[in-house]
Amino acid sequence: MKPPPPRQGCRLDAQPLQFSFDGRSYPGLAGDTAASALLANGVRLMGRSVKYRRRRGLLAAGPEEPNALFTVGARPDAIPNVSAPLLQLRDGLEFRSQNRWPTLGFDLASALQAGGGLFGAGFYYKTFIWPSWRWYETPIRHLAGLGEAPGRCDLPPPVLEHCSCDVVVAGAGAAGLAAALAAARAGAKVILCEREPACGGELEYEAALVGGVPARAWVRAALAELAALGARVLTHTTLVAESSGELLAHGEPGGLAGMNTLHYIRPRAFVIAMGAIECPIAFRDNDRPGVMLLNAAERYLARYGARCGQELVLFANNDRAYPAAQRLLAGGMRVRAIVDTRAADAAGAPAAALRDELRRAGVECLAAHAVLAAEGSTAVRGARVAPLADPAAARQIACDTILVSGGWAPALHAGLREGGSAEFQAGLGAFIASAQPAGRASAGAANGHLELAQVLRDGHEAGVRAARAAGAPGTPGAAPDGRGDGEPRLAPFARSPAPERWEKHQFIDLQNDVTVADLRTALAEGFLDIEHLKRYTTLGVGTEQGRTGGLLGAAILAELRSEALPGIGLSRTRPPYHPLTMRSIAGFRAGAAVKVARRTPLHEWHEAHGGVLDPMDLWLRPRYYRANGASASTAAVVEARQVRAHGGIADGSTLGKLEVAGPDAAAFLDYLYLNRASTIKPGRARYMVNLREDGCVLDDGLVLRLGAERFIATVSSSHGPHMLAHFEHYRATEFAGRRLTVTDVTEAWVAIVVAGPQSRAALERVLGAAWRDTLGTLGHMGFADGDCHGAGLRLLRASFSGELAFELHCRPASAVQLWQELCDAGLAPYGLDAVDILRVEKGYLVSSEINGETTPFDLGLDALAHAGNPCLGRELLDRPAFHEPQRPRLVGLRAADGRAAFLGGAQLTVPGELRRPCGYVTSSVYSPTLGEWLGLALVARSIDLEARLVARDPLRGGDVAVRVVPPVHFDPDGTRMKAQPASQGSATT
Amino acid sequence: MTRLQCPFCGPRELREFQFHKTLPTGPGGSAYERTYERVADAERSLEHWQHVGGCRAWLHVERNPSTGAVLAVVLLGGMRP
Amino acid sequence: MTRPIPWPRRYSAWSLLRARRAGPGYWRPLWTGRTLRKAYDVVVVGAGGHGLATAFHLARDHDVGRIAVLERQRVGYGNVGRNTTIVRSNYLLPENHYFYEDSLRRWECLSRDLNYNVMYSPRGVVDLALSEDSLPALARRGNAMRLAGIDAELLDQDALARFVPGLEPRRPRRFPLVGALLQRRGGTVRHDAVAWGYARAASALGVDIIENCAVTGVRESGRAATGVETTRGFVQAGRVVFATAGHTGLIGRMLGVALPIETHLLQAMVSEPIKPLVHSVVVYVSPGHGETYICQSDRGGLVMGGHLDGFPSYTREGQWHRLEDVVQGAVELFPQIGGVKILRQWAGTNDMTMDGSPIIDRLRYDNVFVNAGWCYGGFKAIPASGAACAQLVATGTAPDLIRAYRLSRFATGHTLDEPGQGPFPVRL
Repeated sequence: MKPPPPRQGCRLDAQPLQFSFDGRSYPGLAGDTAASALLANGVRLMGRSVKYRRRRGLLAAGPEEPNALFTVGARPDAIPNVSAPLLQLRDGLEFRSQNRWPTLGFDLASALQAGGGLFGAGFYYKTFIWPSWRWYETPIRHLAGLGEAPGRCDLPPPVLEHCSCDVVVAGAGAAGLAAALAAARAGAKVILCEREPACGGELEYEAALVGGVPARAWVRAALAELAALGARVLTHTTLVAESSGELLAHGEPGGLAGMNTLHYIRPRAFVIAMGAIECPIAFRDNDRPGVMLLNAAERYLARYGARCGQELVLFANNDRAYPAAQRLLAGGMRVRAIVDTRAADAAGAPAAALRDELRRAGVECLAAHAVLAAEGSTAVRGARVAPLADPAAARQIACDTILVSGGWAPALHAGLREGGSAEFQAGLGAFIASAQPAGRASAGAANGHLELAQVLRDGHEAGVRAARAAGAPGTPGAAPDGRGDGEPRLAPFARSPAPERWEKHQFIDLQNDVTVADLRTALAEGFLDIEHLKRYTTLGVGTEQGRTGGLLGAAILAELRSEALPGIGLSRTRPPYHPLTMRSIAGFRAGAAVKVARRTPLHEWHEAHGGVLDPMDLWLRPRYYRANGASASTAAVVEARQVRAHGGIADGSTLGKLEVAGPDAAAFLDYLYLNRASTIKPGRARYMVNLREDGCVLDDGLVLRLGAERFIATVSSSHGPHMLAHFEHYRATEFAGRRLTVTDVTEAWVAIVVAGPQSRAALERVLGAAWRDTLGTLGHMGFADGDCHGAGLRLLRASFSGELAFELHCRPASAVQLWQELCDAGLAPYGLDAVDILRVEKGYLVSSEINGETTPFDLGLDALAHAGNPCLGRELLDRPAFHEPQRPRLVGLRAADGRAAFLGGAQLTVPGELRRPCGYVTSSVYSPTLGEWLGLALVARSIDLEARLVARDPLRGGDVAVRVVPPVHFDPDGTRMKAQPASQGSATT
Repeated sequence: MTRLQCPFCGPRELREFQFHKTLPTGPGGSAYERTYERVADAERSLEHWQHVGGCRAWLHVERNPSTGAVLAVVLLGGMRP
Repeated sequence: MTRPIPWPRRYSAWSLLRARRAGPGYWRPLWTGRTLRKAYDVVVVGAGGHGLATAFHLARDHDVGRIAVLERQRVGYGNVGRNTTIVRSNYLLPENHYFYEDSLRRWECLSRDLNYNVMYSPRGVVDLALSEDSLPALARRGNAMRLAGIDAELLDQDALARFVPGLEPRRPRRFPLVGALLQRRGGTVRHDAVAWGYARAASALGVDIIENCAVTGVRESGRAATGVETTRGFVQAGRVVFATAGHTGLIGRMLGVALPIETHLLQAMVSEPIKPLVHSVVVYVSPGHGETYICQSDRGGLVMGGHLDGFPSYTREGQWHRLEDVVQGAVELFPQIGGVKILRQWAGTNDMTMDGSPIIDRLRYDNVFVNAGWCYGGFKAIPASGAACAQLVATGTAPDLIRAYRLSRFATGHTLDEPGQGPFPVRL
């Protein structure tokens, strides 16, 4: 094994480090990427393709790399599919190749290649039908996929930054720097994003002159000037997406596992200067390790001092090959030949002059020739070269690397968003993004310019326009002039001539093994369109999303269809513009923070005293208290029994409360509720029901009248935000301009439910003498305002348990004290499950019954419906479907044997028709009061009371015989809750 | 770059707003028409949105649903910013 | 009454071997008949899944004469090629679950019927329960399914942990995973294969599939339509079926009918390919209106989707914050995928009806039909929709299976509102 060639004059920090690839240790240098370090160590085999598992090496030096994808780190938190040119090395980093077994060098699945033409595009649509697809799917799924599925993810979440500026420039190559300078000099606040660790793009190796100075020096000066002008330069930062006025950029200065930042930038103008990607050329076996893009080889040499090989053959359709060859020679590699597809006179004068020099240096310069095939079965050993006029006259040139330059494809993605379209540029043989919305523009290579002076000028002008669009005042001066490799004068050339039997080895999309033969198959099957082609052959669906294969595929499709490329077009590129990890996208909304948690002021008390808190919508509420039982069901029964026997307190703070005030408040509420609010007397509350626009019940709650023009409407906890928006909507539309306000006071009042026979006595002790009279005289559904412990308090007499009960509405600051005092007065807390038991015993409704499908008639609220109030939803309530006999009706249920359990969600059928439900159980509880299971159900109106039904629950149990009873199971006259103190006699409502 | 110009808060990203429904072009109409029918116009959609992530104002928004462009934003409810 | 299909080139493993020897030219175009004629007995507008399936069934099962499918772009360009490939019949209402179950049974043998592998993969659809309170509603749905003869199971935490390895339901979460409703026979189908498979079969049966032909109007004579105006001229038609998902509101407008449809944008996204991790379809609907459904394609990418973007749009460009919501949900379920990258996001336009259920009915004229309003659930309905709509068009009477999908149901109150959300596709 030859020792790797020494690094060439690299600008990297010379600090050495060690890393490991596929279990073997290699030396590297600080600043290396995995790609550069492996290249420098002479490693050529870096991956395997998806379908045929062909041996693959490095193709590119950027995110367009299709082959060298690695899994980084040790299991279980290994990170899959990390692109080698983007993987920054650090000392001790371990990574390995993917999608091969047992080793990269010897992969058993590569036997698939023997299948030859059997596994071409779309083959799986034509077979694998018998006996069923499932037979074949499992092995195919294991062969497919690239990186390992991770077992754990330890990556840090990103830091979020929101900022705004005048101009964002994406890409800090020549055009981007020129644009940023122009905009900054004009006085705009500029943010310049650059994906790479360093700015300059292709300037770093072009040996160009910008403004008369060497390009690298110009880059340094430009960055210094930008810093002085207050511009922000974000390196290691990729533009990822644009959405409704914001640009999203992801910065990873710390590398994969280090600190990373998500920038949400709100610019006034946006310059896209993200360059163009070099195109490959398709020839036989153009996927062999050793075939690389020309500019990639230049980049590895210039930035990392890594040589891509020893004996090179260059294959190009443009002038850049000649200065590149000169630079590669200077880098210590031997250029055997330059194979130029164009005629000899197509080269420009500078290139022709260089060509003569190169010939004198021993480089064979061929014109009107092509590389027909890469020779070598495991890696490039030579290039088969022939004149285009006579492909049969082929000969072999020995080499270990073939560097390809087939033109350039501007990076289109960001420019296509929001109305942008792809426009063909004949000189370039490629598409640029045009028809940009106001404030956005492409510049430089992204705009189809390839010659340095043009690039600089285009960037400068884009910066000027952007600054103007952003309203910056100044004048930015003239564009820098530049002299680089010169106009490439490219002549489009997509693939070398080949007999048809070679076409299955002319690769277009390397990652997915899409070949020219696949395109022919697609065409034969009638998939003429570029989008169909992509879906059918999987061209461009891999990790690099068609960066290397997209334009090439379109050009070859055009050739095979004998049509012009502009008519073919490109398949649409979509965000993200650069793949982004899910943890970066999720941001800080992960784990406990994935959704905001709403807590009541009594939350800590519940937690400290054994409350088991469960999420209900966004709220956290206590289901039960551990002291009362080991499980929810046992504790709830104990708590419910305690409330009926003695009393208890419950936290009702999550109930929504909307304060509606103003001269038109009463009319407003009359409009939004089925029954009237305007007839409620001050100091009284009423049970009210909201209809939805279509007549179904939307919500229920109490409306308290505080005064002639002041009401508080309570809404169910799960409907809080919805009802607020609903009220606000009608206040802004039907009641526009009327005198009323709607204010959400949900969090201004803590609501403590005090229920049970001892509730009044306990309240007397806690609230003190000042409240004694009120407590004695307050009738059911009355309320009174006052003070306690120096803070405001509202005492409402209302019951959701059927017991004598009150609701204490107090300020959050006094809540815990009042709660604790009530506990000390002998009332134990009870949780949501006990609330449910008590309310089912009384036939009260919650969202299980008010589920968005039921009308007031279904729920037995006919009396309210007949109040005659013209309100929202009234008209559509009259539709015929709501009055048919199979329409549901709320009933109660009990087990026929007085013992069996049945659950909410069981379907109900008539005994003779077990497969046709006539209703279902909405809620069910074990009732300690009655000693049996009770339920509420919605059954067809035609079913009578005392009917026998079957509760069918194949999911959780079997069938239970039940009988239909009135929904109020306990104390139907409500005597318990309407009880007045003995001295008062019987109560009135 | 599409933003919604809230009359109170200025130009804000779309994600601060919540769409409610599209509207009939004219006033009147039966409850059925107002509740169930929607006008489909590829170039000009009249809509109600609320600035839930900000001032909670209700807005009448005119948008082009084929391009995403916001054509006009008017405050609902008779208030003035 | 089903005709056997005269395949120009029958597919099988043998055909692959023969093509290997003969070269790519061995294959035949999937659909031919690209010349537009002056008159047809039935014109289907829209070469998406529903349009092609309707045309296929008309040609195979009914004797209706000449049929054309007119498509303004390309076959399968619309929602049939953009969805997240999920098929299931786990619906609550009998009007829905019988219909989708009919569809699921057709999915089971569609590859054989179409001689095209649509890759029906019954890997199970798991509807997660995020609180004890949500179990009765899930059970209600599952029990309704079981009574209708459709497979459904309620999983507790342990059973869920076994069925979805990697999910770890017992791990503490903001919203605990207390269980799930499972339909084993639900799963995925390769969406492009469905469009292409139906197109090929329809074409083999003589249906003309005309691309790049947009319908711009309907010509009438009295109470009947005489044909459609297109960008390639007037085409006479005995009957017209509109199956233009994402544009039905505009079709209604073209015919002067205001429909209960609002067209919304729905996104989907895919990750880079990884080895198998998610072996079923997992659906996660969290409070606060977040939603994520996730499955893994056979090529290895995690395919995910969620809620509507939330406003009317024909742009097919999604908002980033909705993508964030979906990914947040995915990472909440499977935190181990935090290091896996999202590759691509795309979107489709969905015709949302005011009750969330479809419309298959006549539209304005006796001989014009609409097959639309599929909201975000149209893909799984394709086989049943095609068969039932074809029957409606061919015989003039809607089969029982789709009788409830009539347009008049909104006026009469017979709406099919599965989630109980009312006449608003976007909840306040």
